[in-house]
Amino acid sequence: MITAAPAREQTRARYPDEEGFVERNGVRVFWERYGEGERTILFLPPWSIIHSRCWKMQIPYLARHFRVIAFDPRGNGRSDRPEEPDAYAEAEFAADALHVLDATETERAVIVGFSMGAQRGLLLAANHPERVEAAVFIGPGLPLGKATPRARAVTSFDEEFETYGGWRKYNRRHWLEDYADFLEFFFSQVYTEPHSTKQIEDAVGWALESTPEMLIATQRAPGIKDEGQARELAARTRCPVLVIHGEDDAIRSHTTGAALAELTGGTLVTLEGSGHAPHGRDPVKVNLLIREFVESLP
Amino acid sequence: MAVELTASPREQTRARYPDESGYVERQGVRSYYEVYGSGEPTLLLLPTWSLFHSRHWKMQIPYLARHHRVVTFDGRGNGRSDRPREAAAYGEREFAADALAVMDATETGRAVLIGFSAGGERGLLLAAEHPERVDGAVFVGPAFAGGGTPLPERTVYDFDTEYDTHEGWAKHNRSYWLRDYRDWVEFFVSTIFTEPHSTKPIEDGVGWALETDAETLLATMDAPALTPEESQALCRLVSCPVLVIYGEQDAITSVSRGRAFAEQLGGELVLLEGSGHAPHIRDPVKVNLLIREFLESLP
Repeated sequence: MITAAPAREQTRARYPDEEGFVERNGVRVFWERYGEGERTILFLPPWSIIHSRCWKMQIPYLARHFRVIAFDPRGNGRSDRPEEPDAYAEAEFAADALHVLDATETERAVIVGFSMGAQRGLLLAANHPERVEAAVFIGPGLPLGKATPRARAVTSFDEEFETYGGWRKYNRRHWLEDYADFLEFFFSQVYTEPHSTKQIEDAVGWALESTPEMLIATQRAPGIKDEGQARELAARTRCPVLVIHGEDDAIRSHTTGAALAELTGGTLVTLEGSGHAPHGRDPVKVNLLIREFVESLP
Repeated sequence: MAVELTASPREQTRARYPDESGYVERQGVRSYYEVYGSGEPTLLLLPTWSLFHSRHWKMQIPYLARHHRVVTFDGRGNGRSDRPREAAAYGEREFAADALAVMDATETGRAVLIGFSAGGERGLLLAAEHPERVDGAVFVGPAFAGGGTPLPERTVYDFDTEYDTHEGWAKHNRSYWLRDYRDWVEFFVSTIFTEPHSTKPIEDGVGWALETDAETLLATMDAPALTPEESQALCRLVSCPVLVIYGEQDAITSVSRGRAFAEQLGGELVLLEGSGHAPHIRDPVKVNLLIREFLESLP
C-alpha cells in the first residue's frame, strides 16, 4: 500500500542557488544549479517516468564539494510535456543537456546518468567529448548484456490481455486503465531491497506528476536502437567511466553494466544486495563512490 | 501485521563496536555491559523494558561516542544478560541497582542518564536516590505513573482476564502472550513505530523481542512497579537538569504522561511532531542533536 504523498513538494535538504529554463523547438526544460566548485557534475534525467528529484539524495552532499546541475526530463517535473514521440528521442535529451550546459555557462562536466539516462549519457560522451570530462552510469539501461523480464514485457506493450499481472502491467492499455497500479508494481521492481517503502512512495509520487500518455510517447521514441549502436558509442567513449550496478537489479541486468564498463574501459562497481537505483536506496555508498571518482580525475 | 525478518539471525554488523565489554553479577543474575569512546561526561544509556535490549540504542551510540564516553547494558531478561524467571528479579530497584553496579564496574563516578520508556522509571529512581552519581537525565518517551492519563485504547482490556477476541490491544494479555507471543510482539512493536516507512525499525524491534520470551516478560509484568505516589515523591527529590523528549503521536504511552513528568521534574519538554513512542530509533538525527545540545548546556 502506498501512503499518500503530500500534494506540495516535500521540503528539501538544500535548495538551488539558481534555476531556469532552456527552450528548444518550443519545448521548455527546467534546470537547477547548486553550489560552486572547479568541477561541475551534471545529473542527467532518467526516463521521464520520474524527474530530477530522483537525485535528491545526491545533490545536497555533492553540492558541498562540487558545482552541481540537474534538470527535469521533458515529460515530467517542471519541464514541458510534448505529445509526439519524436520529442522524446534520445538525441533530444542529449541536446537538452548541451543547452543546459550552455545556459549555465558550463564548458565541461562530469555527467551522471541513471537507467535510461545512460543512453543520453553515452550519446554525449561519444559525440561531445569536449563537453564531457567523465561519466558515471548507475544501473545503465542499454541494449547490452542479458535481457530482463522488463525487456520481454516491452515486446507485448501493445497487446491486449485479459488480465495484467506482473510484468504484463508494462502495457499501453494497462497504463491508460490503471497507471497507478503499473507504477506501484514498477517501482517495487526498481527498489527490491527490504525497507524501501519511502523510495517507492517518492517515485510513485513523481510519476503521478505526469501522465500515461506521456509515458507511452517515450515508449515509441527512438533510442539507442541495438547492441551494435551501443557498442559503437561505447567504443568511441574516451573519457574516464565509472559504472555502478546493483547485483540484484530487476530492471536492467547487472551484465549490462558489466558490458558497458568493459566496452568503455571503465571501472565497474558491483553493489551486493542492491537493486536498480542504489543512489536512492544506498545514497551514502553511491555518493562516496561518485566523489572519489570525481576527485581521482586528472 | 506479519513481519518477515529479512535480517539474518546473527547479530547485524555495527557502525561501531564497544571498546570494552563485560558482566556484572548481582545475586546470581549477570548483566552484560559495553563501553564506547571517551569524553566527559559519561553517558549511561539505561535499559528499557526487557522486550528490547541495548541494541535499541544503536542509532545513538556511534554518534554520541564520538563526543562522550558511552556506557550501556542489556536489561536483565534480554540480550546477553540473564533471564531470571521470578518476578521479584525485575523490580525497578533491581534495574537501578544493576545500573549502579555497571557504573562501579566501569569506574564511572558520575554519568548523565539516558532512558527510554520503562527506562524512565529506573532513571527516575537513580536521579532521585543517587544524586551523587547523576549529572543530568534525558528521558525519551518515558513511562511515568505519577501523572497524566493513559491512552483510552489501553484501558479497554485487562491484562489478566481471558478474552474471546485478540484484536488490537486485546493481545496485550497474559494468556495471549503464552498462546502467540510473536503475534503480540508484531502488534506491539508496530504500535511503537507509528510513523510511515518504519519497516526497518519494526523488523529490528521484533527481532530483539524474539530474543526473549513470554515467560520472561510475564515476570517483568508481575514485578513490583512504582506507584503514582512513589513516582511523584521521587520527582520531588530530583535536582539535576532534565530533558524529556516525547512523540506527539506516541501510541504506547500518552503524551500527557510526558508533560506531567517534565513538569514534576522541572525539566525541559520537547514534543516531536509526527513522532511515535521511540523517536530515538525512528528520527535519530533529531534526537541525537537534542541530546548533544542538552549535554552542552550542562554546567
